[in-house]
Amino acid sequence: MVIVKRKELSLSEKLYIPEVLRGLSITFRKMFEPKITRQYPEEPLIKTDVTRGQPRLVVNENDTIACVSCGLCEAACPAYAITIDGGETDRAIEREPVRFDIDMLRCILCGFCEEACPKDAIYMSDELELADYSREALIYDMDKLKRPKAALQKRIDYVNRINTRWQTPSST
Amino acid sequence: MSTWEGFLIALVKTVVIFGTVVQVAALMTLAERKFSAWMQYRIGPNRVGPFGLLQPLADGVKFIFKEELTPDGANKLMFRAAPILAALPSMMTIAVIPFTPDIVIGGKNFGSLVVADLDVGILYILALGGLAIYGVILGGWASNSKYSLMGALRASAQMISYELTLILTILAVVVMSGSLNLGEIVESQPTIGSWHIWTQPLAFVMFVVATFAETNRHPFDFSECEPALVGGFHTEYSAMKWAMFYIGEYSAMTMMACLTVVLFLGGWTVPFWESAPWYVALAAFLAKTSVFLFLFLWVRWSLPRFRFDQLMRLGWKVFLPLALLNLLVTGALVSLL
Repeated sequence: MVIVKRKELSLSEKLYIPEVLRGLSITFRKMFEPKITRQYPEEPLIKTDVTRGQPRLVVNENDTIACVSCGLCEAACPAYAITIDGGETDRAIEREPVRFDIDMLRCILCGFCEEACPKDAIYMSDELELADYSREALIYDMDKLKRPKAALQKRIDYVNRINTRWQTPSST
Repeated sequence: MSTWEGFLIALVKTVVIFGTVVQVAALMTLAERKFSAWMQYRIGPNRVGPFGLLQPLADGVKFIFKEELTPDGANKLMFRAAPILAALPSMMTIAVIPFTPDIVIGGKNFGSLVVADLDVGILYILALGGLAIYGVILGGWASNSKYSLMGALRASAQMISYELTLILTILAVVVMSGSLNLGEIVESQPTIGSWHIWTQPLAFVMFVVATFAETNRHPFDFSECEPALVGGFHTEYSAMKWAMFYIGEYSAMTMMACLTVVLFLGGWTVPFWESAPWYVALAAFLAKTSVFLFLFLWVRWSLPRFRFDQLMRLGWKVFLPLALLNLLVTGALVSLL
């Protein structure tokens, strides 16, 4: 059992007033210190390399979608947010999605789709804002999800860097 | 001066003073939020109007349009009367506060800016201050809620223990100045050296502490004490009725700040300028008052709440004997010197 000894108060502490004044001086000084509030709609959210926002589809430099509609992300998605219908294409990869929907209301932004993708076709972008007037509008189809590769480059570089860390042989 | 003229002047003074008090009460709600924000590294309301200055107006509109709830089993009459009783007395007490010396415009003397220059001004303030607690007690009792009743009980016990100290410290000032008229009390301290804060420092400290208890402000706001009593006496109140309690609280603060200035800081007297014109005197009065209004907010956001038994011990075992002793010494010195 721990016996806590009550601290004996000194005379100035018993008189309250000096201690009260000390407390007041602290709060007064704090009034002039910089504020930490972020004025959100005017001041944008802070984004770094690590920012894991909403998933977006990569569009290559030649305007073709990188996705081959293999369905791995659909299977990896723990929230069943992704729906893919595959179709044929004349390109060498032969398959591309004809429908790629992400229900942003279901998406939990876990990033499993990004990890599962074998073709580096889906990445977590730095887009964080998600608001609309209806539920239907928040089921994003392929047109809403497509982003040029350059827009996602920061995240792609970050993921590559993290992945190479596991590829280096360990010292043991 | 004809009767009509006198009536008109009194009317203008009344409108100006009461309008100002209500405005100050409204602005105090904004100031409270602003200062608390600054002390916590936040910005505070800044969306409505420049610097959030229209926030009280937005709050008022919101209060008017909110749904009013009356709990089952509440005493309807008392439940409605309580907010009025809480707000009115503190606004009425402001009537005897003299804000300026005689106002002279174009050689015409309009008298001091005071609604009622009573010879028993202090008695009037104390009587109405005693009434103000009825609003809290009735509100708590009529709500038919345990928390509200607890809040009301605490408020009444607190009032009894602090009103005594308040009266005794005021009495010491009355003994010094030899008058119950607030205007004459101000005139008894014409220079900064003769302010009663210097002659009665102990009474000043006790008076300020007692005003905090009297207005139910932190650190003595046991009657509303959120963690223990939900909302205390106003737990069951909503919309404008609830706002009335707050208007009452903030105008009581305004009134107590004015009273402190009148009793201890020489009211309208301007330091080192004895023959200052009335508008400078008014500005001096307002400046001194705002210091104390700021103190109310400042203390609230600095100190933790006392425990109820600590308040009682402080009130009965420390302040009451000290105030009595202070009065005794003051009386002895005044009669001997």
